[in-house]
Amino acid sequence: MKTLLKYAQVALVVLAIAALLAAPLVLKPYGIFVLSQWAVMAIAAVGLNLTLGYAGQISLAQASFVGIGAYTVALLQPFGVPFALAFVAAGLLSFAIGWVLGYPALRVQHHYLAFVTLAFTTLVFLVMRNEEWLTGGIYGISNIKRPIILGWSTVKPVPFYYFALGMLALVTAIVWWLLRSPWGRAFTALRENPIRALSLGIDTRRYTLFAFAFGSALGGLSGAMHAPLVQFIEPTSFGLSLSLTLLLMVIVGGSGYFLGPFVGALVAVIMPEWLRFADGLYLIAYALLVLLLMTFCPSGILGLFGRLANLIETRAASARRQSLSAKLDQKPVSS
Amino acid sequence: MPVKSIRQSLLLAGLVMVGFAGPALADGTVIIPDVIELSGAGAVSGTNWRDGAMMAVNEINAAGGILGKKIEMQHFDTQSNPGVSRAQVQKALDLEPYVILGPIFSGSVKVNMALSQAAEIPQIVGAEAAEITQAGNPYVFRTAFGQQFSMPKIANYVRDGIKAKTIAVLWVNNDFGKGGRDAFTKEMAKRDIKVVADVSTEQGQADFSADVVKIKAANPDAVFVYSNEEEDARFIKEARKQGLSMPMIGETTLLSQKVIDLAGEAANGVQGHVSLSADAPIPSIQAYAEKFKKTYGYGSDHNGIKGYTAVYLVKYITEKMGKFDSKLFAQTLHGLTVTPEQTPGILMEASWDANGDIDRASFLAEVINGKQKITKILPKLGSK
Repeated sequence: MKTLLKYAQVALVVLAIAALLAAPLVLKPYGIFVLSQWAVMAIAAVGLNLTLGYAGQISLAQASFVGIGAYTVALLQPFGVPFALAFVAAGLLSFAIGWVLGYPALRVQHHYLAFVTLAFTTLVFLVMRNEEWLTGGIYGISNIKRPIILGWSTVKPVPFYYFALGMLALVTAIVWWLLRSPWGRAFTALRENPIRALSLGIDTRRYTLFAFAFGSALGGLSGAMHAPLVQFIEPTSFGLSLSLTLLLMVIVGGSGYFLGPFVGALVAVIMPEWLRFADGLYLIAYALLVLLLMTFCPSGILGLFGRLANLIETRAASARRQSLSAKLDQKPVSS
Repeated sequence: MPVKSIRQSLLLAGLVMVGFAGPALADGTVIIPDVIELSGAGAVSGTNWRDGAMMAVNEINAAGGILGKKIEMQHFDTQSNPGVSRAQVQKALDLEPYVILGPIFSGSVKVNMALSQAAEIPQIVGAEAAEITQAGNPYVFRTAFGQQFSMPKIANYVRDGIKAKTIAVLWVNNDFGKGGRDAFTKEMAKRDIKVVADVSTEQGQADFSADVVKIKAANPDAVFVYSNEEEDARFIKEARKQGLSMPMIGETTLLSQKVIDLAGEAANGVQGHVSLSADAPIPSIQAYAEKFKKTYGYGSDHNGIKGYTAVYLVKYITEKMGKFDSKLFAQTLHGLTVTPEQTPGILMEASWDANGDIDRASFLAEVINGKQKITKILPKLGSK
């Protein structure tokens, strides 16, 4: 039974990947653009899921890191820096800043931490807007070029989509590995019971900082993809509302579930587009759906399925127990 | 664990499969999508634009359409967000449109005008940032003055009408406000008028008391206010409350009906330059404003006129060409003048230059008894 489930699981993941790969055959450029947006935002959401879902550190600063990554790529481009280098630089810079921002996380928790990261988001927004000499200020930076990777041009929508998908796959693979390494186990220990983790010899200080920095780095990488995707960046795109959207992605998808941010990003990026048939009411419909979901299923969409699966398993187990105990009752006990 | 993962994968696959079905295109119609701000910070402007455009579409369709084809107009909400606007223009382009209308926010236009240029589809926008028409894009056209044209007019008024020697500038720190502030202060320097207070405010700001105190301390001859409708109204109210006595000058938005409605009595005495106005003493505009109010139950602002005239512009050019040809449309519109005699829906004579910039008569106005009153009509720049 277990191996059968394993095969089914692999088959479904393959099916999802095949659907993503085949999407350009049926979708027009608009659909491709929205799916590319999904892939790019999913990278940031995967990062936040690591910080919040696995390590338990709430952050409202993820949008800032997306912004830092996007500005890094956009500002390095005029100097002829190759995209690959700018991409790595965006990740490293976000990692370093995330590490520094992690220090308050050592002192405060939960909503206090949310406020610290909220202040950071505002600070980064003000720097992006007011330091005109560096960032171009409120006018933003336009005409950001899409990269040519080893002679392969990503200028057209479909190549860029595959490029974004490839980057998402890369990030997913790294996070998959990380979560199965001792690092990932330590993150979960940190979330579940920091004091116990400490007593077991886990350096909670180092792991908290690393969780923050790594999640932030993924935000930066997402930004590095966002800049060439939209080809225009300006400070307001990286304000609090994006941070909240990213948080929504993680929570709606199912915080702490590996596939949660992928589903959450689908809901946050694609659902408003999908509801557009409702005209003026579409954002209201979207808000209501999220409200209902959070009321009845605070653990997110995958949490809901997880609960259902648990329920089914429990019922099956108790049915088995009952039938077994009935059999036991029938057998006379021999002395 | 495996069961959970299966559910996760199934859901993911299912959600990915959800299509992005485009609308079916009927024969005998011409597709003119409207990509516009219907939510977010630009909702007031965008709603006016949409309603103005729809009024024109309904009128034209009732009269038989353009060259016998009915206009099919869908509205795509940009949420006042550049990234979303780019997706929406892409969606509009997927419909294989004839012309695209909107958006109004300059940041959004800057993102998406390259897309319509690549597709060789004309885009008639409501944005006012100077650089939009200076990028050499032959497919972008304005429906109102760019800031590089409106600011010299208001600057002349500050020098000749108000006779101010010093001025305070209060502006909203977004691309619209910053662009206006930069263009305005440049014009002030040219006229030797000193900017004694340069006050940056936030989009959505509710409390302007500190800003008014700052301006009061600088004691200028006049205050130039350049923000969005709601913030304009809040500032005017606070300024009156604190007894700010110098004239308050604005450009179009400050004197719009929405600001007057929100600020009430406090708006009286506000003056300035209006590039387009539903209160202009021009019979065609007054007839438009009356019909708009009757149809939608509220008064149109300049964005309503922009949307309305944009649709009539499309009709006029197409009938002049005698066919639907997007590329030729753009070529025809450069250097063209359209008069109300040729097509009444254009409301006022207007010309488009080689960059897609518009030239049209404009107005000096003052708010008197809760109504915008036009005090002077300024001729077209080209007719000077």
